[in-house]
Amino acid sequence: MPVLLSDDEIQRLINEPKPLPPNYHLRLRLKPKRGHKEAELDFEGVYRSPFRLILRQSMRNPLDFSVILAYCVPQTNIIFRLRRYNGKSHEHTNKLEGDKFYDFHIHQATRRYQDAGLREDAYAEPTDRYADFHDALECMLANCGFEFPPNPQPSLTFFSEVFNHGN
Amino acid sequence: MAIEMIEQDFRRKVCAQIRLEPEGVGRYRVFTPFRFDDGDHLAIALKREAGQWILSDEGHTYMHLTYDLDEKSLHRGTRQQIIANALSAFAVEDREGELMLAVRDERYGDTLFDFIQALLKITDVTYLSRERVKSTFMEDFRAFVEEHVPETRRQFDWHHPRRDPEGKYVVDCRINGRPRPVFVYALPNDNKTRDATITLLQFERWEIPFGSVSVFENQEEINRKVLARFSDVCDKQFSSLTANEDRIARYLQEALREDLS
Repeated sequence: MPVLLSDDEIQRLINEPKPLPPNYHLRLRLKPKRGHKEAELDFEGVYRSPFRLILRQSMRNPLDFSVILAYCVPQTNIIFRLRRYNGKSHEHTNKLEGDKFYDFHIHQATRRYQDAGLREDAYAEPTDRYADFHDALECMLANCGFEFPPNPQPSLTFFSEVFNHGN
Repeated sequence: MAIEMIEQDFRRKVCAQIRLEPEGVGRYRVFTPFRFDDGDHLAIALKREAGQWILSDEGHTYMHLTYDLDEKSLHRGTRQQIIANALSAFAVEDREGELMLAVRDERYGDTLFDFIQALLKITDVTYLSRERVKSTFMEDFRAFVEEHVPETRRQFDWHHPRRDPEGKYVVDCRINGRPRPVFVYALPNDNKTRDATITLLQFERWEIPFGSVSVFENQEEINRKVLARFSDVCDKQFSSLTANEDRIARYLQEALREDLS
């Protein structure tokens, strides 16, 4: 896989303010698919960068989930994963470092892994900042430049109900 | 190193990387060294169901594939075929997206190997995904025409207002102000070439007077039969835009000056 983005470009995209559309909570409703639930939201950052928020959760194991912030590379069909907040359902190995762990973990895109011909987000670190899907999403929204729309804003309870849709 | 030592090392390393960890009653996480291309290991649970042990991915494998692929695309075409073959070859059951394999006759090791092989084969479908750079051909064509044909003499996406009010037979650009208008087509692929053939034939049926010219994105990539049919109905063709800009510009200038009939 060719190198697409440098570490600076990756960080700039993560920091780019991302206003959520007013109806984002409806558009992020998880819909049941085969064996898992999913939702996606395409939107633009304030500098017009196209992004996609991708949500996945297993229907059999609630700890098996992914909350992904991706950059939709213009003029291509490439979805470049900037950050991925994973649940605790599998081990992860960082191939370049050789370390392995079984925990909630956050994947991050790096230049180093692209240089090595690996997936852009094949590097991950264990985390204790969340322990379920809802908290992982909150972490993502808080850490990656998301801005909530002015009122009316759904309460966290409502937000939680939205994400439990399809259980 | 003696071959016996190598064999021992293989056994020690491979065996050491397979282990179980309890996760509730009658349920264990199975750890193996086998991974997706992003460093995540396969998700495998060993659980007791209806009096028998089964291995399950709990829906993880398909879910992981949908990070890159549309879920629907897993169930059609070549991807569907690869998945069906893998499931069939290793007798793995797809229960509403959860992949499962029951352990029979206490053959735990064999079952685990079969299950892992099936999951790895299924993950191969990601190699069918191609990263594509979106063509700018249609935008380039439009910009080129805008540069060489005055606004008053051109109409993009034209269709016959009376015979075809719904716009089923569309011309990419109609050059006006002539007794016989020129219909210009931009053709990036087989489908568009087929559509242009049908459209030109329809205009012939309606006995509309016109001249026609086409610009391919890359004529060499067009199917031979599709191209042959199109060649029968189109007056003038350019094999590509980029290699023929001067010629196309001259052709358009002449078309603006005179009736090409």
